[in-house]
Amino acid sequence: MSAAALATEPVVQVTGRGSDSYAVSTLGLTKRFGKRLAVDGLDLRIPAGSITGFVGPNGAGKTTTIRMLLGLIRPSAGRGRVLGHPLGDSRAYLPRVGALIEGPTFYPTLSGRENLMVLARLGRINTKRVDMVIERVGLGVRGLDPFRTYSLGMRQRLGIGAALLPGPELLVLDEPTNGLDPHGIAEIRAMLRSFADDGMTVFVSSHLLAEIQQICEHLVVIEAGRLIFQGGVEELLAARAPELIVRTESQQDARNLLRLVNRIGRSARIVGDEEGTTLEIGADCNWAGELNRLAMGEGITLVHLAERRSTLEEAFFEITRNSRQETACNGDAPGAARGSDRFSGARRRSAGRS
Amino acid sequence: MIWSAFASEWVKMRRRRLWYGSYGAITGVVMMTTIVTIAGALHRPDARGELTLAQLAHASGLSQGLTQSGVLLGAVSFSIAAFQFGGEFAHGTLRNLLVRQPRRSVLMAGKCLAVLTFLIGAVVAATMVAICAAFVMAHLRGIPTGAWTSGVGMGDLGILLGDLTISACGFAIIGMIAGVLLRSSVIAIAAGLAVLLPIETILTDAIPGTGRWLPAQLLESIAQGGSSAAPFSAALITVSAYLLGAVLIAMLVFVRQDVTA
Repeated sequence: MSAAALATEPVVQVTGRGSDSYAVSTLGLTKRFGKRLAVDGLDLRIPAGSITGFVGPNGAGKTTTIRMLLGLIRPSAGRGRVLGHPLGDSRAYLPRVGALIEGPTFYPTLSGRENLMVLARLGRINTKRVDMVIERVGLGVRGLDPFRTYSLGMRQRLGIGAALLPGPELLVLDEPTNGLDPHGIAEIRAMLRSFADDGMTVFVSSHLLAEIQQICEHLVVIEAGRLIFQGGVEELLAARAPELIVRTESQQDARNLLRLVNRIGRSARIVGDEEGTTLEIGADCNWAGELNRLAMGEGITLVHLAERRSTLEEAFFEITRNSRQETACNGDAPGAARGSDRFSGARRRSAGRS
Repeated sequence: MIWSAFASEWVKMRRRRLWYGSYGAITGVVMMTTIVTIAGALHRPDARGELTLAQLAHASGLSQGLTQSGVLLGAVSFSIAAFQFGGEFAHGTLRNLLVRQPRRSVLMAGKCLAVLTFLIGAVVAATMVAICAAFVMAHLRGIPTGAWTSGVGMGDLGILLGDLTISACGFAIIGMIAGVLLRSSVIAIAAGLAVLLPIETILTDAIPGTGRWLPAQLLESIAQGGSSAAPFSAALITVSAYLLGAVLIAMLVFVRQDVTA
């Protein structure tokens, strides 16, 4: 969708998974607390049926954005649609939305089950769903124990359970893996995948970029309240040039290979180990065969040849760094970093490469 | 809609600890004032017009002890209501509730009704216990209780129970408003009790006539069936106007405020 098309009206049609419609779309969504601009003209688009990651540094405005989507905070400006309804009409869409906001908060002296009963009765949800949800998130008999006795992992499970109560079409989870051990994180990851398999749209904010990379198909990155990237995770990763990692038998071979690669116009450098036998070459795996042939022709033996794709963490640092530089160049005026579609750095390079 | 919010709040209020604490405190207050009143009754009238055993033997004697419990009962009611409302902000549970019930006025009204029914139950239960205590004390002090169970005695008791309930509900509504506006149960209870008890008492003593306008003084007057400073109907009308205005302001603030807790 072009920036001009988006500028007319956020398009939201919730249909089946795999369609190009959006469960959530916003246009110029802004929140100002006094003089502080927490969210700055956010144009958000969350594809229906996808698992969308929402990342950004602390204080970037993720939770404020989520609260605006849930009708807890009034936007200062902008508009949007959630599940086909205007943002201001939260009562129309919230019955189909489940949310865990800023960690699980419940009444400490009530059991997990009773806590869910409070929400079920309030939302006029069939109370039979309470037991179903407790089973689904794996709380089992511990659901009868007081919330204050729960471990952090169990609290997160109950929070996710509360979000699942209405049988939502859209699940909004704010830091669902916060404070969990690797085992707990893996369980939550599996759970999120199963929700997406059930056709839910999952919008999950997290600091754990490796987790986001593993579970999300779509990504929204914000910094200082501004959108700096949204699109497919693969698209973001592809925007950062892949590298071939090559190790030669000897230091001399490495130097010879470096000269050879530079001569044909490829970037390369010797890295890492003290032996000086490892090179990083700016090329993807399609060029690996050609490299191998060239090396053999020069009598260089490659003992290791592999492609190294960039991680989401590297891509994240790169686009946030680019965004800061761009903001600094533009005098840090509000909205100064906005591009046509507000995609900076990696995304724009990606468009150029294609 | 309101029924859902009401039923949801009652799931919380079925907590044993809340029952023991609230019903225990209210029953304790009403029973204690009844016992102290009957125990302190004089054999003969004195110059200060203190209650006598002969007065307690009248049909209205049973109500005399209960009448004195108005302010303390109000303080407990205020604290319970402020805790129930302010606690939602403090625990951060309000955001969960508002996602499930985005109509904030409906949520507030349902919670308010639930808290009031809880308190009405507590006042009725406390009165029953206090009546038993009054009979025991009457026996110990040799007060004839035949008139207490007469039609007039029961009528007086019914009227008193109504007055106490209205007064307790008034204090509770002020507590809910304080909880919503101050967004913290601790601050709401501390500030509210400070204003309603010592500050109002000092103002009433220092400036004659202010008892007719200050909310806690008016609610105390209602609990006593009216006083010379503030007759029952005048107190009821003034307090109702105060509460209506305050509820509307609290509702407006609650509906419009950003929930960042």
